[in-house]
Amino acid sequence: MDRRQFLKAIGGGSAVAGSTGLWFFGTEAGRSPDSYTGMKNREGGYQTFDRKKWAVSNPTYDKVGPTSRADGRTDVIFARMGYLRRYDKEKGLDSFPPHVRDYYTKHPEDLELDITVRREIHQKRAEDVKKYRNEFILSKAWSSAMGAVGPRGVNGPPEEWDFPRGGASTPYKMKDPRQTSRLIKKVSHQCGSTLVGIAELNPDWVYKYPMNGGRGFKANEPIEVPEHWKYAIVVGVPMSWDPMYANPPYGTSNDAYSLSRIVAYRLTAFIKSLGYAARPHTPGASYDLMVPPILVDAGIGEQGRHSIVITPELGCNFRPSIVTTNIPMEADKPIDIGVQDFCKTCKICAEQCPSGAISKGEKETIRGYERYALHSSKCSNFWSSKLGNMGCRLCVAVCPYTRKANWLHKAALNVTMHDPTGLSDHALAGMQELLYPGQEPQKYYMPSMGGENASYRPVPWWLKTEDFIDLPDPEEPTTRSSE
Amino acid sequence: MWFFTSGAFWFAEGIVFVLAITGLKVWMEDRNTPFGLWKCLLASLWMLMLGFTIAFIGTSVGENEIVAAKKGGIIFSVICFITGVVVWRLLRIGRVKIAPGDEDEEV
Ligand code: SF4
Ligand code: SF4
Repeated sequence: MDRRQFLKAIGGGSAVAGSTGLWFFGTEAGRSPDSYTGMKNREGGYQTFDRKKWAVSNPTYDKVGPTSRADGRTDVIFARMGYLRRYDKEKGLDSFPPHVRDYYTKHPEDLELDITVRREIHQKRAEDVKKYRNEFILSKAWSSAMGAVGPRGVNGPPEEWDFPRGGASTPYKMKDPRQTSRLIKKVSHQCGSTLVGIAELNPDWVYKYPMNGGRGFKANEPIEVPEHWKYAIVVGVPMSWDPMYANPPYGTSNDAYSLSRIVAYRLTAFIKSLGYAARPHTPGASYDLMVPPILVDAGIGEQGRHSIVITPELGCNFRPSIVTTNIPMEADKPIDIGVQDFCKTCKICAEQCPSGAISKGEKETIRGYERYALHSSKCSNFWSSKLGNMGCRLCVAVCPYTRKANWLHKAALNVTMHDPTGLSDHALAGMQELLYPGQEPQKYYMPSMGGENASYRPVPWWLKTEDFIDLPDPEEPTTRSSE
Repeated sequence: MWFFTSGAFWFAEGIVFVLAITGLKVWMEDRNTPFGLWKCLLASLWMLMLGFTIAFIGTSVGENEIVAAKKGGIIFSVICFITGVVVWRLLRIGRVKIAPGDEDEEV
């Protein structure tokens, strides 16, 4: 081929390539979620990770022996706390009903933490709240605003509440499970969910006994896993990023809790309108099942050392809800993005956790499955040992996966995911500690417990009370709702 | 500020990048230093490293991660400086002496 022919061929090829490119540009520009101004999330525009590429047949937790179901009355700290006010020192363990007595006999350390330590902490806290409340006026107001709206809760047993009109309706015949999954995912995004996935429900994740005897279950009667809880649809929304980094005191779970709940109830209404059964399991503490392993089964992410599920899009900065249903769907597969290996190397959450609740050691066998243990009594005690908004969320903020989706952090995520040697895990965990250090854990405590009310990152400008409000005298008695 | 996160920015950045390398090539050739393909690639790689350093510092400042901006900035700038010296010496390979007394000749 001479030079002229070569140039002609290159010219022709370029014209075709250019035109094809413009075709793809045009179609993409026309339908991209980015072009749905203000509604990118509703078009699924933030769930962009190609999960199929990282799908695995088995979840990234190991089943290592005979399994048992968690007892919602005692294994869940929020439910356990409901029994504490019955405690009478004279009677000791006899103050409690038999199942709580059994729990504390097996976990004496928790009895000490849940009762004696908690009492001491509460006494100290009352004084600190008075002294330092001014600092948190705006963040508390914001948190209460975020939690102001929410649907009415589930208040009936599954065999009644879950079905449209108490079970009287005939479901529409769905054409194809795969298409139904597509539909449900689209509708979940339209309902406001950032992430959505579908799993077949493993009955091991359903509580053996209901958490607090609400939601239509009778207290102390075991939950028979209903046949219509065949699938679990998982939805999740992020917490506002800047306040989340300003945890423990300034962030709130309420913004994501509230939206996550709304999404789940909307989705429930949609499924029921098609004649199928559906039941939402939502924050805070309105569940009949354990959430994290279901997220893993649905391919949303992997469970980290801190017990929270880490997703490729949001890290662990999100709050999930689950809808159990019998509408026939095709389930997603779990994914493996290398979190298990990374967590072996990185112990940042465990080192930063002020209460020492997160394990620095190896995984343990818990009810027949291997995972890192989380000491919920320690965690919950820290919630009372700090000021500001309820909860802590520091482990969410410090996790290297919880980073905004800019080029830098996306590149780091890609390196860890693609490196089979594991060398980059060491390098990146080291860089995280060097470049994004946290505080001394003690500083996160309230002053009366030797702390400084510290936050991982500074409070965002719009939550700095002193910049907007003439601060009242902390000694002055007050009836303001933000306190 | 949307321009800086748009495709148009990367298009412009690509043009500026090519112009910078072309300018360097002409400048070197004016100084009797041949500037072939491998030198273009080497210079491009170094410029990418410099670009990474600037973008890293900018991103960290934008994220309000001041420690990352400072420590990362220092680490990556030192790496850029050291590699820059090495790259510069490599780029000057083949420079031809044209006048007596030119001390910089390297072959
Ligand atoms: S929420 Fe706070 S106290 Fe609880 S495990 Fe996480 S870092 Fe520790
Ligand atoms: S902070 Fe590190 S160890 Fe903890 S969950 Fe995140 S990646 Fe795993």
